[in-house]
Amino acid sequence: MAESTFMGVPRSKIPWAPTIDYDKCDFCMECDEFCPHRVFERREGDMKLVVANPDNCVVFCRACSKTCGPDALSFPDKPATVALIKKLHAEEDQARAEEGEA
Amino acid sequence: MSYLVLACTGLDKPEGSIAREVALRLAEEGEAEIVCPVVLNRTPARYKKALADSTLIVVDGCATQCAGKLAAAAKASVADKVMVSDVLKRSGEALAPELRLGPDALELARKIADEIKAAQAAHSAEAQAPDQALGEVEFETPAEFAVVTHDKYEFRIPLTAYFFNANDVWVQVAGGRARVGISDYMQQRLTDITYVDPPKLGAPIEQFDEVGTVESTKANFEVVSPVSGTVVRINEAVTDAPESINEDPYGSWIVELQLTAWDEDRGLLVDGPAYAAEVERKAAEE
Repeated sequence: MAESTFMGVPRSKIPWAPTIDYDKCDFCMECDEFCPHRVFERREGDMKLVVANPDNCVVFCRACSKTCGPDALSFPDKPATVALIKKLHAEEDQARAEEGEA
Repeated sequence: MSYLVLACTGLDKPEGSIAREVALRLAEEGEAEIVCPVVLNRTPARYKKALADSTLIVVDGCATQCAGKLAAAAKASVADKVMVSDVLKRSGEALAPELRLGPDALELARKIADEIKAAQAAHSAEAQAPDQALGEVEFETPAEFAVVTHDKYEFRIPLTAYFFNANDVWVQVAGGRARVGISDYMQQRLTDITYVDPPKLGAPIEQFDEVGTVESTKANFEVVSPVSGTVVRINEAVTDAPESINEDPYGSWIVELQLTAWDEDRGLLVDGPAYAAEVERKAAEE
């Protein structure tokens, strides 16, 4: 499978994924049941749920947090992420242009 | 103005007690009739006729959305949804952790009830007097489609006149304005759409901000705006009949925006043929 990209930027360069606040999480698993992208994984032990596949998370999607009664899920700052993607996007464009010239 | 109100009963956190208080206030003021969530859950037939005849306001305490889920299960036509935890987040206020409401919590419940009343009054006034000041802009009807097939599914993508972001949201642009909706691929993934929560008229939106949510029997989908602009129109045909998105995803625009940075926004969107390739890739990865 080719490396996944978001708006032409390698997904692995975009730090967008939920963070679980374990002080609030009650492991009701609503978020895991909701998310079709297997971002979360259930585990044995104290941390019954972890963010196992952050790169599977759809950039800018925060829908799982809207299923979270205890409000235990948070996401990175959106404007900062947009700025980062725009910067990476411009760099990719430039790299492609340079490749073309070469 | 009369409608039904369904609130979560709130015995697990104070937000729920506030939701209950909001429903009590609306009922006491003769604004609404209460639908008891416990009875609706146990004996839905009790409310079948009332729910078929009237619109429903749903007041949830938190994102578990017990009342919202009950309303969806009862196939009720939901006119408005309020979530106390969202109201609190926006105002930056914090609640005392008690289930019995103190003066601050009661005041918050009064405010939320007043907002619901005002929104309902504004809604009925709007329905009587549509906005004449806003000129009409002609948007193209899509003529040619690419079709991506995957298993038994067929996803249609208009080849011209539409642009897409990587979050499966489309935009059509004409005369400095834009219409925004969700793609055929996304509506099929969501399955039956039951509720559309639009943004507020006049709200300023930056590219990639949320410009409403679409709820289905399967998921809640945050509509990530492909463009920056100001919300100038909400498509009431779609908010009143959310299933129209399933029937005609490219005709069922959700909001119209007055564009503020189209040239810049365009750089981060793809056209129809490029989006068709993207859908093919996404469908194969599922």
